[in-house]
Amino acid sequence: MRSSKHFAQQFGIITAIVLVFYAVFSHADFGYKFYWAVLYEVNPTYKEIFGYWLLRGLQLTVEISLISTGIALFMGTIFGIARLSTFKPTYYLATGYVEFFRNTPLLVQLFFWYFAFPLALPETIRIFLNEHNYEFWAATLGLGIYTGSFVAEIVRAGIQAIPHGHVEAALSSGLTRAQLLRFVILPQAFRVIIPPLGSEFLNNMKNSSLAMTIGVAELCWQSQQIESFTFRGFEATSAASIIYLSLSLSISVVMNTINHHLKIGQDKQLTLVDRFLALLFRPFYLLGTAVYLILRHLKKRFNLGEYAPQHEEAVFASVWSRTAAIIWNWMGYCAKIIFVCLFIAVIGLAIYAAYSFNWGIIWKNLPSLLIWTFPHGGQGEIFYGLGGLTMSIIIAGIALLASFFIGLVFGLGRLSNNALISTPSVLYIEIIRGNPLIMVIFWVYFFSPIVTGMQIDVFWSATIAFTIFSGAYLAEIVRAGVSAIPHGQVEAATASGLNYVQVMRKVVLPQALKIMIPAIVGQFISLFKDTSLAYIIGVFELTTIAQTLNNRLMIYPFEIYTTIAVLYFICCYSMSMVANHLEQKYTPTRRTARSAG
Amino acid sequence: MKRFLQGVALTFCFVMLLGTVCFAGATYDKVNKDGVVQVGLMYNSIPAAYFNDNNEWVGFDVDIAEEVVRRIGGQMGKELKVERVKLNNKTRISFLTSGRIDMSTANMTHKRERDRTIDFSITYFFDGQKILAKKGRFTKHEDFVGKKISSMQGTTSEKNAINLLKKLGDPNAEKNVISYQDEPSCFLALQQDKVAGWSTDSTILLGYAAKEPGKYELVGDFFSDEPYGIGLPQDDSAWRDAVNFAIQDMWSDGTYMNIYNKWYGPDTLYYFPMTEKIEMWP
Repeated sequence: MRSSKHFAQQFGIITAIVLVFYAVFSHADFGYKFYWAVLYEVNPTYKEIFGYWLLRGLQLTVEISLISTGIALFMGTIFGIARLSTFKPTYYLATGYVEFFRNTPLLVQLFFWYFAFPLALPETIRIFLNEHNYEFWAATLGLGIYTGSFVAEIVRAGIQAIPHGHVEAALSSGLTRAQLLRFVILPQAFRVIIPPLGSEFLNNMKNSSLAMTIGVAELCWQSQQIESFTFRGFEATSAASIIYLSLSLSISVVMNTINHHLKIGQDKQLTLVDRFLALLFRPFYLLGTAVYLILRHLKKRFNLGEYAPQHEEAVFASVWSRTAAIIWNWMGYCAKIIFVCLFIAVIGLAIYAAYSFNWGIIWKNLPSLLIWTFPHGGQGEIFYGLGGLTMSIIIAGIALLASFFIGLVFGLGRLSNNALISTPSVLYIEIIRGNPLIMVIFWVYFFSPIVTGMQIDVFWSATIAFTIFSGAYLAEIVRAGVSAIPHGQVEAATASGLNYVQVMRKVVLPQALKIMIPAIVGQFISLFKDTSLAYIIGVFELTTIAQTLNNRLMIYPFEIYTTIAVLYFICCYSMSMVANHLEQKYTPTRRTARSAG
Repeated sequence: MKRFLQGVALTFCFVMLLGTVCFAGATYDKVNKDGVVQVGLMYNSIPAAYFNDNNEWVGFDVDIAEEVVRRIGGQMGKELKVERVKLNNKTRISFLTSGRIDMSTANMTHKRERDRTIDFSITYFFDGQKILAKKGRFTKHEDFVGKKISSMQGTTSEKNAINLLKKLGDPNAEKNVISYQDEPSCFLALQQDKVAGWSTDSTILLGYAAKEPGKYELVGDFFSDEPYGIGLPQDDSAWRDAVNFAIQDMWSDGTYMNIYNKWYGPDTLYYFPMTEKIEMWP
């Protein structure tokens, strides 16, 4: 437990940093005059206060995030359980859902839901959708389905984390499978999954910023709107960043509190925030208790459950229960048959759709999607006109390499006992992680010319943004990896006379790196998917090329978007196989567990 | 492994430095010295600047920019090289203010609000805003009240469309104009009936409508003038003069109309009659 003195130090350092920033920004001359009043004064040209626009955007961001979180939780729970099913079609469907949606970029999925999906629907439904704010619903559903695939994996892992003995004990004490799930597995599983679930919800909120690409006027969109009206990109982007940051912080505070309350068998030291939030949750708790009491009353009233039958009645009851069991079984079979039919129908539809594709178009444009005009690029084009998939891979590769070193420095910095070192690291990590990637891209894009007085190529602008963004995530991976090394080793190494650098270099990092490798590959996959966002500032990576081709061909959006989705999927899926392989190789406990089970 | 990582890190730093060497300064002198002009062009706008079937970057703006640079070279007495830089609606102004490009020929309407940040050449193309819709559904602007219209974020047409709907009495004007990030998205939205109309400069609309002949039509009259200027860095009058003289020379010796007819002439898919005259200084 860190002392209050430590927090006082941290607070002091943060204040100092803020003051320095303030001094630099109000006095230094970057050739750019800051004009923050643009956010709160009535603009003379447009007669509007732009700050209100941001608040309107915030409202939409919150709405999208809340609804899509609900959808994600629902989808995730169902598909997470389905992934453990022994009935093969269910398992295949769930696995297909999880793998496909996890391994393609959200941006491409949103384009699909918004532009391609309605084409498969009948005219009347399409018109109905278009009249009912389809932008909003496509974004919300798309986001929910995307996040749901991550939640499903978390739920699956949570359920698998429950010792098999619990399941056997519950079954042998006569619980049905539904009861087993309801009373034994889910309550325990949810405790395990709440921390990763919380960070997934956080990601979900940040990802809602992508809704801007299909015309939803959420927070990020509004900040860009202010930029386009006033050319005050820096001010607008900063304001939106601060709002995102406060949203992220409140989500993590709430999730931490819930986590704290649900923990079993630990002494709970309630902080002030905890108490305050507990007060906030009190009504829900009371409501839950009331519902429970009413149900129990009803149960008693109608003698459900605790009923001692007379003899004839007992015979009747046993016959009845046997019949019920048979009916139940048959219903199960029917459900399975219907499910298989539906499953086959879905696959059939997919094959039919693929069959009716214009493959000629895909083949003709595939080279463009892979390498663009390489090596016949024009004057001054980066990498001889390279673009498309190769460009995406290069961006992700450079960003990962560079961010690894950033992550190493800040990850270790965060673990430092010296507040002067740890505070800046914490600030960097939390500020970046609290913001959507789009915002970081805009930041680098608007900020770099102000500081350096020149504009770098959008390719580098995007790559730097990805590096800064992924550096914060890698720092957390490094921190987790280093923390996992038993402290005794550090003490032993220090006692044997090694200094800090030597301890890290020779003892801690070589071991920690092994633990970190799967997480780093995972980070690389999400980085690779995120490169699709560079589309927004016009980097010629895969998504931009797809847009450009689509622009020229016009009538083949299905073909183009499916092709790039498949391309992204192939790359991400093969990388995630590598990650799984590495995870098994480098996690000794899991391997023994698996060979034992 | 260690050596390798070190090498990669060093290379990375070096390449970063290389990428950043492009200074903002007095543009005319810089061009005169280096013999290179950085020209910003759109890549997603048909027929102004786009990639054709062979992935060649072509269009009206491309030809105009090349010709302007060639003539400036003539004024300077040397041959200038053109370096094309890709622009979109987000980058076309900030690239100028930060000195990444020396001129931006990018469908840009000369607006006073923009003129506070950058400078413009004389008008090199006269366009106006219209609304594109599916054929036979609408006859006048009033028909769009209460309907959705697509536009591109950060453009003047977005603002004009909102103002038009407001003027015609649509209480939800701001909600009914849906802004996307690029032209293909706007058109796709119209194609799929997500919006009733797409509003932007008429030549852009013509370019898209030509993709599926007979299915779309322009509705109503122009509701705003869109004089296009070449975007130039602020406060560099020598450079601005050079560009303006080049445009005027192109007009007076007929080169301009040749290029115009190549892209907007009667034989093209995007026929758009020339009705105005470029401003001439004797």
